Amino acid sequence: MTEETEHAIEVEKLTKRYGDLLAVDDISFNVRKGEVFAMLGPNGAGKTTTVEIIDTIRSPTSGKVTLLGMDVTKKKHEIVPRIGVLPQGFSSFDRITVRETLQYYSRLFCCMNTDIDGLIELVDLKDKAKELYKNLSGGLKQRLGIAIALVNNPEVLFLDEPTTGLDPRARREVWKVMLGLKKKGKTVFLTTHYMEEAELLADTVAIISKGKIISMGSPGALIESNANYLVLTLKPVDEKAVEIIRKMGYETIHDNHKDITVRVEHTDDVQKILNAIKDAGATLLSLDVRKPNLEEVFLKLTSAALRRDPAGKVAE
Amino acid sequence: MNLRVVGANLVVKIRSFYREKSTMFFMIVFPIILILVFGALFMNQDNMNFDLCVQDFDQTDSSTQLVKTLEIHGKFKIIKIDATISAAQYANDNKLNLILTIPKGYEGTFLQRTALNDPDASVTLTYLYDPSSISVSMKMKILNSVFAGINQKMSGMPPFIRSAETSIHTRKYRFIEFFVPGIIAMSVMTLSIFGTVNVNTELRQKGVIRKLSTTPITRTDWILSNILYQFILAVLSTIAMLLVSYAVFNVSLQINAWLPVFIVLDVFAFVGIGMILTRFAKEAESAAAAANAISFPMMFLSGSFFPLEMMPGFMQTVARILPLYYVNEGLRASMVFNDHIAALRYSAIIAVFAAVVFILGIVATKWEEDK
Repeated sequence: MTEETEHAIEVEKLTKRYGDLLAVDDISFNVRKGEVFAMLGPNGAGKTTTVEIIDTIRSPTSGKVTLLGMDVTKKKHEIVPRIGVLPQGFSSFDRITVRETLQYYSRLFCCMNTDIDGLIELVDLKDKAKELYKNLSGGLKQRLGIAIALVNNPEVLFLDEPTTGLDPRARREVWKVMLGLKKKGKTVFLTTHYMEEAELLADTVAIISKGKIISMGSPGALIESNANYLVLTLKPVDEKAVEIIRKMGYETIHDNHKDITVRVEHTDDVQKILNAIKDAGATLLSLDVRKPNLEEVFLKLTSAALRRDPAGKVAE
Repeated sequence: MNLRVVGANLVVKIRSFYREKSTMFFMIVFPIILILVFGALFMNQDNMNFDLCVQDFDQTDSSTQLVKTLEIHGKFKIIKIDATISAAQYANDNKLNLILTIPKGYEGTFLQRTALNDPDASVTLTYLYDPSSISVSMKMKILNSVFAGINQKMSGMPPFIRSAETSIHTRKYRFIEFFVPGIIAMSVMTLSIFGTVNVNTELRQKGVIRKLSTTPITRTDWILSNILYQFILAVLSTIAMLLVSYAVFNVSLQINAWLPVFIVLDVFAFVGIGMILTRFAKEAESAAAAANAISFPMMFLSGSFFPLEMMPGFMQTVARILPLYYVNEGLRASMVFNDHIAALRYSAIIAVFAAVVFILGIVATKWEEDK
């Protein structure tokens, strides 16, 4: 397999400026065909700018972006029919029903054989097929947005913050849809600021902060390479145990008097803490030792990035 | 350009329109209400019928005959007032602007003049009137002309100067017939300008345009479907207005090929203005305000409601630089006067304007994000 066919997206030295504001700062990465690629970052990190340059909504200041082997700045007309996009803050026509909306977008792509019912089923909107768009809840709107992005059976799917602003239940329902797409082997470019989402769905995660990619790899690899520590959570019966751990000088991640979460280097440290508690005559209700999750890695990485460049400007 | 895409867009726009009842009301029903209200007002002007209060102190056959003459020749609706009450008091109490009093002895003087041929015999009828009233001078003018007729007849000589009234129009036109083309021009303008501005700024603000920019629909498809949609609305609205005008006021208007020509030009000109406003207004509210700021003065200044002659000279000059004026006059030339040369002249002017504005509108319409 050649490089061109292996990668759905190739981004090379991409930079985007809005006047003085440097939104995307010389980033390079590739997205393999068939993988779910998540760009993870806080608000204003440059996620949306990056995805909108790749999916042809915006144009870059400099750098080269190749999508399905074509330059995005030169081949918009050839690219558009082969991709599906759920833009950030997606919205549609208020007084058009779910089914009519899908029919409309299908006609825009001149797809004669779009399986509208199949799409409705895929995003679980069968009961709402005759509902007007304006009467849908936020989660249902996003699910319709994903279905719309699929009307042309795209080779690459772009989902820009698909779950932002949704309640936890609606978010999980959108995830279910996205997991279904992952199973089908679609190439998906996802942006999110939810670590859970990236951890659950992505094959590759790129953590972006202030327009720069600060770390990239599979969720497991990211955790492995950036988390050479363990997270210990203790729930003691009384506050005495908490006092003891504090005095031992471990870095606390979370501490609310009732329970305490600390960062430890080795399993030996766990043993030391347990012994100290036992020696003091305190007892524990529960104990949890685990590797850090992506959220903790993310917070560690982005706060390190912030410390490196506290005066830097950021943009959405 | 892709006709399937244009068609799909058109379907979405028309569905959105008929599912939004308030838009439907303002776009279709509002102009009809205007026609009904103004039509009813103007109808009274066409057939003026004033009330006239008469206090007859004479109460004879001759005085009754005089009142009857006033009723027939002056087209007055006569209200008789009892001779025993104070006319001034009565006028004040009943907010009357004019009472004509016929003095006692009217018949005697009348017979002295007609039977005995006494040239000195004359009678004085009194107008008890409210000078602050607007219509009173009109009533007195009519009364004077009726009395002049009676005086002239009694002198027994045929009149020396006669007047012949010939309208410059080949037939008598009613006010409503001038009004309807003006309302059609105005409604199509507001439909086009607000339709374009409201829909496009809302869709842009909500991010629908951004989504559309990731589909194969082009700016040309979008603009074309918008124009077609506005044209369909304009035709529907015009048909509704004409039906009401014919049914209620029995207007006599020429419906010929100029009507669709002017509607098309009206749509192009004001969709063009709408597209320019959409480009420069940051938010939906400011776009609507800008559309109001342009369309409202235009409505009143370009002669849609009032004949231009009623306005001061400088405002007439202003009217002649407004595009709506040419649509108004063009529609009147074709629908009222059947004057094809004038219609052609007006259509040429508005066509040039529409072409310029529409091209500017296309250039101004943003499709891709420019940032």
